[in-house]
Amino acid sequence: MSRLYGLLKSLVCVRLICSSLLLLALPLWAQAQAFVFTAIPDQDESRLQQRFGKVADYLSAQLGVEVQYIPVKSYAAAITAFRNNQVQLAWFGGLSGVQARRLVPGSQALAQGYEDQLFKTYFIAHQDAGLEQADELPAALKGKTFTFGSKGSTSGRLMPEFYLRQQFKSAPQALFSRVGFSGDHSRTIAQVQSGAYQVGAVNYAVWESELAAGKIDTNKVQVIWTTPTYPDYQWTIRGDVDQHFGVGFTDNVRKALLEMNDAELLASFPRLRFVPASNGDYEPIEATAKAIGLLD
Amino acid sequence: MKVSTKRWWPSHSSARRLNAVCLLMIGAAVLALLGVDFQRYPVDPWQELSRIGWGLLLPGWSEATTLIQALLQTVAFALLAVAVSTPLGLLLAMAFRWRLVRMLCAALRSVHELFWGLIFMQLFGISPLTGLLAIIVPFSGVFAKVFAEIFEQQSPLPARAAPKGASVFIRTLYTLIPQSWPALLSYTRYRFECALRSSAILGFIGLPTLGFHLETAFKQGQYSEAGALMWAFLLLIASIRWWLRPWLIVPYLIAAIWLLPDTIGFSDGGSLWRFVSVDIWPAALLAGDWHGLLHWFSVMFSQQVWPGVVQTLLLTQIAVVLTGFIVLFTYPFASRALVGPWLRWPGRFVLLVLRCTPEMVLAFVLLLLFGPSGLPVVLALALHNGGLIAFLVANASDAAFRSGQARADDPRGLTRYAYIETPRRLPALMAFLFYRWEVILRESAIMGILGVATLGFYIDSAFEEIRYDRAFLLIVVTALLNMLVDSLSRRMRGAFSQQTNIT
Amino acid sequence: MTASAELFQLIRCTFRYSGPEQGERPALADITLTIGPGEKVALLGPSGAGKSTLLDLLYQQQPQCSALQPQGGGLVDLLSAYQNIFIGGLDRVGTVAALWNLVRPLAGQRQAITDLAQRLGLQDKLWHSVDRLSGGQRQRVALGRALFRQQPVFLGDEPVSAVDPVQAAELLTYVLQQHETAVVCLHNRRLALDLFDRIVVLQGGRICCDAPAGDLSAEQLDHFYQQDTSPLNPVACGHQTDGWVIRTS
Repeated sequence: MSRLYGLLKSLVCVRLICSSLLLLALPLWAQAQAFVFTAIPDQDESRLQQRFGKVADYLSAQLGVEVQYIPVKSYAAAITAFRNNQVQLAWFGGLSGVQARRLVPGSQALAQGYEDQLFKTYFIAHQDAGLEQADELPAALKGKTFTFGSKGSTSGRLMPEFYLRQQFKSAPQALFSRVGFSGDHSRTIAQVQSGAYQVGAVNYAVWESELAAGKIDTNKVQVIWTTPTYPDYQWTIRGDVDQHFGVGFTDNVRKALLEMNDAELLASFPRLRFVPASNGDYEPIEATAKAIGLLD
Repeated sequence: MKVSTKRWWPSHSSARRLNAVCLLMIGAAVLALLGVDFQRYPVDPWQELSRIGWGLLLPGWSEATTLIQALLQTVAFALLAVAVSTPLGLLLAMAFRWRLVRMLCAALRSVHELFWGLIFMQLFGISPLTGLLAIIVPFSGVFAKVFAEIFEQQSPLPARAAPKGASVFIRTLYTLIPQSWPALLSYTRYRFECALRSSAILGFIGLPTLGFHLETAFKQGQYSEAGALMWAFLLLIASIRWWLRPWLIVPYLIAAIWLLPDTIGFSDGGSLWRFVSVDIWPAALLAGDWHGLLHWFSVMFSQQVWPGVVQTLLLTQIAVVLTGFIVLFTYPFASRALVGPWLRWPGRFVLLVLRCTPEMVLAFVLLLLFGPSGLPVVLALALHNGGLIAFLVANASDAAFRSGQARADDPRGLTRYAYIETPRRLPALMAFLFYRWEVILRESAIMGILGVATLGFYIDSAFEEIRYDRAFLLIVVTALLNMLVDSLSRRMRGAFSQQTNIT
Repeated sequence: MTASAELFQLIRCTFRYSGPEQGERPALADITLTIGPGEKVALLGPSGAGKSTLLDLLYQQQPQCSALQPQGGGLVDLLSAYQNIFIGGLDRVGTVAALWNLVRPLAGQRQAITDLAQRLGLQDKLWHSVDRLSGGQRQRVALGRALFRQQPVFLGDEPVSAVDPVQAAELLTYVLQQHETAVVCLHNRRLALDLFDRIVVLQGGRICCDAPAGDLSAEQLDHFYQQDTSPLNPVACGHQTDGWVIRTS
């Protein structure tokens, strides 16, 4: 009996603590009705808040509603936020956009970067790997060490894996002696340049800009193959924004994005300008993801 | 006279039992070595390493506002999480006699903070609540276990002598808690440091703590920013005892609530139910397609679960034993009784650096040095955890030294190390090591960059691919594995725990 | 007798522990004590009188030639009784030999320690780790460590308090035989009067009696303890007296 009483008392204490925890959390649960977007650029993730805060200001002025930016760390986090309606608009990679639109019915791709119409991936190799630039992936890749970028990246994972499977008819893990995921294109370059991995797959835009910045020693690391082009980054918006922010809101957002011509704002992505895009543009990506088993 | 070896260490010797446990662990690690790929690759890391080195030597403080903000939020999350999880853990510890509670706690702590963070992010978005819960939930489980063990070590007599009419709660409040107060307090203090590390690491998945900026800086090769963040974190941890005063805790907590970041955007309430009822179950199960479910399960088992379990166990076993050796070699250099009051400071600094450097950073540097294989995984885990345990062991040694347990006529130098300090610290060292066995098991998760496919690697992939059914299965497997290791380590510790109170 | 011939010498010595919790009262106040070679001194007095502190001060005067047995023994739990006794002789073997002894006990030392264990009644327990021994057995291991120091001076803090009275007298006699000089804190008046030739009684950090054992009787020693219940500090001393009475009765 006393034991039961003791248990009850303990439970009351737990309840008290839980409820005080809730009290603590609730005020932070600000139910702001702002229009929120997120973006992970494919290079230079520093000072996200400052840089994309300016994009938020631009959108706010164009749309006439409060616009906020929320920084995220990964494509998965961006998709989750999009799915849970924490953000209504997101700058996704090709694959993450497809994943997000599958999870949120009615959502649509609004615009893509000019460069994203004809995106491509470079296969890069360390000098000591003894691989030369070629028109197709060399058979000598077998048994080398290889690193992708982030697991959910289109240019760093999806497309290179697709072309590897197409060429060698086997999974990368079977082809290479070791397969890593560097998590980021800059890391991929650094790891191949240092010889930690012999071969890597990298977003061409990141390669070009690091090359221009003098961070790459071409005596040590070189491009050995370039993939065919494919569509990549795009703006995707939820289907229910018109209900929340008024009829025609989606069109206004698209217009604002397409009309963005401030070089400073565009440099955050970094893209030349934005051009119209539709869900249909990304069907090849979806098919590729299904082909390599990243989507069911 | 005929002497058999048996006479030296008969079963009445704790040392012999402990030695047997050690030999068993080492033997298992040697066997594990056969199954792990330790191939070294020719690398050319010096350009990158020198950039890292210069970044650490010449940290860039230009982003001071961001740095201070991240630092404050790191502390805020840690403080609030410990403030909530300590009493929760205490309550759970009181109910630890019930198997159900023990299992619940084992389940809570068997999932890494990062994975709790990823789970709660599905439910509560990127918000302070996600960050707090990601620390509170596993920490409550850890507190419960450790507090319960501290209670076990107390004399049961005062509680037995207390009136039977009083409730368990009240009896504990009057007997076990006061009896073990110093131990509870010192463990909570230590755990706060762990919470700071967890809070910082949670930045890797998007909370605005130090890890957020550290991950970015490291990822993008901005080593001077990374250097500044590392130094700031190091100073934060090293100076805890100066800024964390008992009378400051309440003002700190209030400030912490105010410092938590705002929740941007809103989360619809339906995501919680959707997550538990739909997301985490395989589609075949929800559709009632038993054949499909079997197929899903067999594919998962043969391609991810089994290879993941094998890799994880092998690497963990080697890392644990290596950790033990690192502790034995490093702790004396940080111990007052062995190197003196001043010479221990360089040693303590090295241990501080080791335990404050996230394994991810260590793994990256070691990857540059050795190329991708099991070697950097094991080294990174062993260095980080070795630094941590050696620090705890050196602290225990210093505490005993201060409390006057040391005899004025004890030997010095190497013989003191071998005859006095190490035998005295060994039971605690082994206990710490067994705790870290679980932790290392969880931490092997971060080794995806090394191309080593542990369970954590597959969990991370599942989250990345938005396949929560897979993530859920893998997390359950990891949790079961953790519980297995936990009960095994409990049993092994039982083999050498001191039989006090029994005459 | 010249001053240099004295082994221990304290002149008007006052000792206070540092730290805020230690209170105003010094642990030792105004102690003047001289002990020469060959003396066998028993230190008596209620708990908290300053006996252990005094013993520590004495040890610091002659660390080279003293074998110390502190209260509690300071044993290493994990190690066997053999190893704990061996620690007493660590300074007589080289470092390498000492380390090897942990792996495989050295033959010569084994013989000496086995003999010593026989004398202490520990022959059956020599290879048990000391955390598995009873209080009395542990105390004998600690005594063994002090004996294995093989020094001319023995400084013991209640070295036989946990051993049964008959064995206590035997062990103490043996210890006194083995050492030229001995200073031993005791609670047992009978042992002090029978085995020692000089008795020093401490109360509240001061020496209140220092006389040859032959000049004192058990009743006189009781008198010193009764003085301790003086109205000056009735509460604290009342508590301490309990312990004193129980142990001597």
